[in-house]
Amino acid sequence: MKRNLFIIAALVAGCFYSFNVSAQQSSLVQDQNPRYKESERKYARIADTLNSEHGTTIQNTYKAFDWYEAKQERRQQNREWRHEERLNGGYYDYTPSWSLYGGYSYPFNSYRGYGGYGFGNHWGGGRSRFGVGVGFGW
Amino acid sequence: MKFNNFLAVAAIGASALFVSSCSRQVNRVSTEQTIDISGSWNNSDSRLVADDLSGKILGANWINNFQEAHQGKKPTVIVGFVQNKSHEHIEAETFLKDVESAFVQTSKVRLVQGGKKREELRAEKEDQQSNASVSTMKKFGLENGADYILQGSINSIVDAHKRQKVVYYQVNLELTDIQSNEVVWIGEKKIAKYVKN
Repeated sequence: MKRNLFIIAALVAGCFYSFNVSAQQSSLVQDQNPRYKESERKYARIADTLNSEHGTTIQNTYKAFDWYEAKQERRQQNREWRHEERLNGGYYDYTPSWSLYGGYSYPFNSYRGYGGYGFGNHWGGGRSRFGVGVGFGW
Repeated sequence: MKFNNFLAVAAIGASALFVSSCSRQVNRVSTEQTIDISGSWNNSDSRLVADDLSGKILGANWINNFQEAHQGKKPTVIVGFVQNKSHEHIEAETFLKDVESAFVQTSKVRLVQGGKKREELRAEKEDQQSNASVSTMKKFGLENGADYILQGSINSIVDAHKRQKVVYYQVNLELTDIQSNEVVWIGEKKIAKYVKN
């Protein structure tokens, strides 16, 4: 009895499977890839995001080197630095804080500190107010 | 006395000159006129691209080929995105709208809405389902499916030394069959500029 039930269940499962396969194959048009559903599922998730870009410009620009523009930018940068320095009340704005050199840190000026500009002039300490420890602050 | 008069006239003249030099002048110009100021991408470049590519896309064989294969039916196009890979900020919409306008005006190609505008249309349709009268309510699922998608790219090359610069722009538009991914048309417009500062 058990054996008969097992055979019947196997037959039903087989029928169900073959029905599914035939239904899927019959929905294919000529020469259509039978695995097209995999791709469909993948793009169903991202279609809305991608399609929202339709009719727009995706800006993926780069910065081209232009000798003249670079020179202008350098000049502008220098002007801004000078302006910052004037606002800070001079070239060296000592901020009292801990340092190795007698209670004065290296002049705090974030523009001077980075980017490789102006170190040569400053390390000499020619225009500093105190002239001690300049350039060796860290 | 004479000297005082002369001084007064000179002062008035100087002040008039000062006022006129400070005032800004704005004049309307023709959009067809080419005015190059910085050498960057401008309206003239956009117009050149639009004129050239509109003519090329509407004069190409893909329309006839489609109509032959589909019993004279007009092809339906959707505009995809354009990638700007140049060194400048360029909005492709300025010339794409001209191309779209040419599609609609010549009636050779049917154009369907895409992107955010399509979202808005669907949202409006959704709103109508509960607010419009039954006779005027628009139904979902009856949109025109596009046969082709129009995509593009903008590229540039800059060659600069000291005060001289040559800028080259290349704008490409491609039309692709959505069903088969076959590219049926490619149009390009190249613009080169010599700029001396």
